[in-house]
Amino acid sequence: MLIGRRSARNSHTMDKSITLPPDEIFRNLENAKRFAIDIGGSLTKLAYYSTVQHKVAKVRSFDHATKEAASDKLYEISVQEEVTARLHFIKFENAYIETCLDFIKDHLVNTDTKVIKATGGGAHKFKELIERKLGLKVDKEDEMTCLIKGCNFVLRNIPHEAFVYAKHADSEFRFQTTQPDIFPYLLVNIGSGVSIVKVESEDKFERIGGSSIGGGTFWGLGALLTKTKRFDELLQLASKGQHTSVDMLVKDIYGGSYGSLGLTGDLIASSFGKSATADKEFSKEDMAKSLLHMISNDIGQLACLYAKLHNLSRVYFGGFFIRGHPVTMHTITYSINFFTKGEVQALFLRHEGYLGAIGAFLKGAEEDNPNQYSWGENYAGSSGLMSVSPDMNPMQRARSGTFDMLEMDRLERQLVNLPLLQDPSSYIPDTMDLTEDALAREYWLYCFEEALDGVVKRAVASQPDMPEAAQRAEKFRQKYRHKLQTLRQQPFAYGSLTVRSLLDTREHCLNEFNFPDPYSKIKQKENDMALKYYQKAVKSLEELSWEQRQFALVRVELMAFISCEHPERPWLVDSYDQWFERLKGPPHKCALFFVDNSGVDIILGVMPFVRELLSRGTEVVLASNSGPALNDVTNGELQILTERIAAMDPVIQAGLREDRLMLVQSGSSSPCLDLSRLDKVLAMVVRERQTDLVIIEGMGRAIHTNYYAMLSCESLKMAVIKNSWLADRLGGKLFSVVFKYEVPAGKPSQHSAALSPL
Amino acid sequence: MSLSSTSSHTMDKSITLPPDEIFRNLENAKRFAIDIGGSLTKLAYYSTVQHKVAKVRSFDHATKVNRDDKLYEISVQEEVTARLHFIKFENAYIETCLDFIKDHLVNTDTKVIKATGGGAHKFKELIERKLGLKVDKEDEMTCLIKGCNFVLRNIPHEAFVYAKHADSEFRFQTTQPDIFPYLLVNIGSGVSIVKVESEDKFERIGGSSIGGGTFWGLGALLTKTKRFDELLQLASKGQHTSVDMLVKDIYGGSYGSLGLTGDLIASSFGKSATADKEFSKEDMAKSLLHMISNDIGQLACLYAKLHNLSRVYFGGFFIRGHPVTMHTITYSINFFTKGEVQALFLRHEGYLGAIGAFLKGAEEDNPNQYSWGENYAGSSGLMSVSPDMNPMQRARSGTFDMLEMDRLERQLVNLPLLQDPSSYIPDTMDLTEDALAREYWLYCFEEALDGVVKRAVASQPDMPEAAQRAEKFRQKYRHKLQTLRQQPL
Repeated sequence: MLIGRRSARNSHTMDKSITLPPDEIFRNLENAKRFAIDIGGSLTKLAYYSTVQHKVAKVRSFDHATKEAASDKLYEISVQEEVTARLHFIKFENAYIETCLDFIKDHLVNTDTKVIKATGGGAHKFKELIERKLGLKVDKEDEMTCLIKGCNFVLRNIPHEAFVYAKHADSEFRFQTTQPDIFPYLLVNIGSGVSIVKVESEDKFERIGGSSIGGGTFWGLGALLTKTKRFDELLQLASKGQHTSVDMLVKDIYGGSYGSLGLTGDLIASSFGKSATADKEFSKEDMAKSLLHMISNDIGQLACLYAKLHNLSRVYFGGFFIRGHPVTMHTITYSINFFTKGEVQALFLRHEGYLGAIGAFLKGAEEDNPNQYSWGENYAGSSGLMSVSPDMNPMQRARSGTFDMLEMDRLERQLVNLPLLQDPSSYIPDTMDLTEDALAREYWLYCFEEALDGVVKRAVASQPDMPEAAQRAEKFRQKYRHKLQTLRQQPFAYGSLTVRSLLDTREHCLNEFNFPDPYSKIKQKENDMALKYYQKAVKSLEELSWEQRQFALVRVELMAFISCEHPERPWLVDSYDQWFERLKGPPHKCALFFVDNSGVDIILGVMPFVRELLSRGTEVVLASNSGPALNDVTNGELQILTERIAAMDPVIQAGLREDRLMLVQSGSSSPCLDLSRLDKVLAMVVRERQTDLVIIEGMGRAIHTNYYAMLSCESLKMAVIKNSWLADRLGGKLFSVVFKYEVPAGKPSQHSAALSPL
Repeated sequence: MSLSSTSSHTMDKSITLPPDEIFRNLENAKRFAIDIGGSLTKLAYYSTVQHKVAKVRSFDHATKVNRDDKLYEISVQEEVTARLHFIKFENAYIETCLDFIKDHLVNTDTKVIKATGGGAHKFKELIERKLGLKVDKEDEMTCLIKGCNFVLRNIPHEAFVYAKHADSEFRFQTTQPDIFPYLLVNIGSGVSIVKVESEDKFERIGGSSIGGGTFWGLGALLTKTKRFDELLQLASKGQHTSVDMLVKDIYGGSYGSLGLTGDLIASSFGKSATADKEFSKEDMAKSLLHMISNDIGQLACLYAKLHNLSRVYFGGFFIRGHPVTMHTITYSINFFTKGEVQALFLRHEGYLGAIGAFLKGAEEDNPNQYSWGENYAGSSGLMSVSPDMNPMQRARSGTFDMLEMDRLERQLVNLPLLQDPSSYIPDTMDLTEDALAREYWLYCFEEALDGVVKRAVASQPDMPEAAQRAEKFRQKYRHKLQTLRQQPL
């Protein structure tokens, strides 16, 4: 853009001598391929694809033949190198573009790359520079196409990408859950002008409207009126002003409201109406505020009209006018509420600034089929929302040298909704939103900080043969502590802050410093131990009467979590009686069982339960994590354990043989569970087997997440609350038991006694 | 509104009114209504006019033989007809006018004056004191709509399309048999967008704070020019391209894949964001005018589409008689609807509020039951006070604009046999559009004037002052012909 060209020239004259910490910023550049760049009015967004070598812990069964020779361990653990794909996006001021290109040039090893995709108004200006510096051919891509492609990508792949802004609410940002179908939607891009685009599918979009009254108008008129040349400063002025001294309100004309037309007295009748005839001087702040209202209201009204005309309810706002500016997000939100009487919500995007770069990248990467995969935001490598908040340091921004990053990992498996969710679009995995609940946030951030030392120790201990482990662990500690501090300041950095996101961030950081599975050895030891008691445990259960056994199975399952005295019934949540009555009825067709911990839990708690289900004639699908998280049993470990148990237990063996017991990975590497992002294969199996019972166990999966999840079939949520604060929150005390058996409303089970405890 | 009227008050009030020319038939006036806007006052009243009418009467059969051989006799009788008077003048003259009315008002049945407009409450006390009438406030929007319905129904060629570069700037629309539904976009300080579905049913479906007050207010801040008309003058001389960022300024040309031409304004005032140069007052005013007109145009189109309306009338002080704004609004509507909707303007747009307020007060006389006709002799015609002709003097011009409407004896409707009443145009030739024909016919009528005067005098051999009255007629008609030569509309 012309604007861009000028301001870029301005910023060029500024301090260029930043000391980049470039290896921190341009990560994995050695393996980078497929570059894309989006050069806007003031910011450059660079995208590249690279492969990352990761250490992963693999488990392998000992060869049976040599078993005697080996130790008494059940399986061996080996750390292997695995290569995964990652997308890197970096955003920086245009002023640093040359420095950055030099750095890239020096570190780029891969020579297959011949082309860099470019978009944005500034692309043609820097074309020559880029081609000269990088020796890559600049290939221009259509700006709007890139924007839409990028928007589709983040909406589909990043949970909590979209949010509603509410200035005066407890939490300014209210994140939206990912919708199963993101189309159709309206994208209102407020750059210099406004483009209003209707997006109907991945490849179909149309610019249905626009306006010349946009960010450039605020900037341009604002500069003329206030002699303030900087956009951020203008916003600062506006946030301090009173528009009522410049605007003519309805009450200025009619002395009050205009009731018969439904116009309140405070409504702006005429923007700048007072400056038409008053001879006084107006303050810069007041004029900037009036201008901001005028432009935001106008755009809001246009957006509403186009949304109505095209029958669209999802309206996303982006562009530099919006980007990370609470002031404009607030006025736009206000305007949309006003004009639609709350029917339409203004939605914003966490990664809005990256859309063009992501889109340009995707255009260039089409042969890699990036849209075939699921991608996940890597919390360790991403800066989070408002890392460069203009409101925090408006004066320094242009020379802040702050680099904002987004990294996305290609997930091994495509993730989809669990087909058994009652209403996928309203499903929220997390029980507590720490963004909105300040007390809970305080508590959990404190917990995670307190626990950090222990995690570091365990990480070091998990790699006794590696002398530099301590050093890496220390780096991990710093990174994670920094994340926790950021989250304390900006709880909204990665979407809604939840116990799950805190746990996931920790896992991402551990992986980042090559601690792929700090619990592997502990898990191994516990599994070995528990396996020794399996047959004895099954035998004692067999000796019980049917009634006694049903209760014992639940007790044992729950007991596996704790070492103390088992709490007496009634439990905190107790629908055992309904469950018991249900068991007297016909067997379930198929049960999906999300398992939790290694060791006693899986072997002595889950397996006997599974065994009983199989005996009843119910098929069982055991869903376990694809990758490690804490001491949760992984799919790899569970394969081996089940084989070993099958060797001891004909019921399990028959189940496996007859394909009535299936082990499937969940697609997750989290101690929690997001039922809207599960392995596609799992979803397929669930559907094929006509699953009619879902069992979720453990704190992470049944309490921190999914406690309120509504399923379209019967479900059983079992956990012991091992945190006194949380127990207190739920109205119980430490080691309270949750046994929640639910039957969806309007779908009575075959057995009349089975009641919904809800 | 109140602010602007305050400032005009400080101006020259010592006009010498030719008031008997303006407040005609005041002796018989009843039912007053007043609409006080930001700068103009519109007064309405109803009066009865004594007219001489020529009547013919068949001779009585019984006495026929005694008389001469004429078939019927002609007699001149006095007849009383109803007439509506509307007068528009600057707020500055309101006190003088009220005094004049007070002095000449004979009819004492009148107890109430209907008032509307933003300025009504400000002048309430003055009016009550001067006229001794109780000021009865009427809802502004209701009056506006009532007035609009009235002129659309009663005045042929009330609505017109504005085309700056056409042979004729004004293309008048024939009266539609059914005027509803329509959209009225009233651009005053702000913008009100009103959907009118029937005589009594309307709804403000939208609006915007970016209106005439914004042009005026922002314009005053940017150019230090305080007068609205001068701002329009500046705008008409400016180049918006030096201030606005066009599509081609960003993309080097058109943005083909999105269907955006290079000359399209991408960002109003976009160039002033970063350029350090000074911009001319004219250019900024022009850019502002485009910004506001385009915005209103787009909003009007969207509301028209959303409510499936094809007739969109524009009014309010931003539009009123300003070719500059009529042009930019027309352009904007054409652009956004790709020609599907035409921007329509009204000849008597400025009177709508006063007409409506008057009608509210006259409901017992059932004015809507009659047909009314514009009296060309007593009406000033469009743009009698064109701001572009004398922008500097306007506020103290003391020009009075008038509209008079006669109540017709009979209610007029369409001939039921018209194939398509809405496209029926009675006149074969439109002299507004055909300049050659206009020249010819104006010349013809001027040439014929002497003959007409002679015939008029000869028709009243018994009246000695007939020659004097005929001379007055000659002057008036010649003046009208001259006016029409200048302003064929």
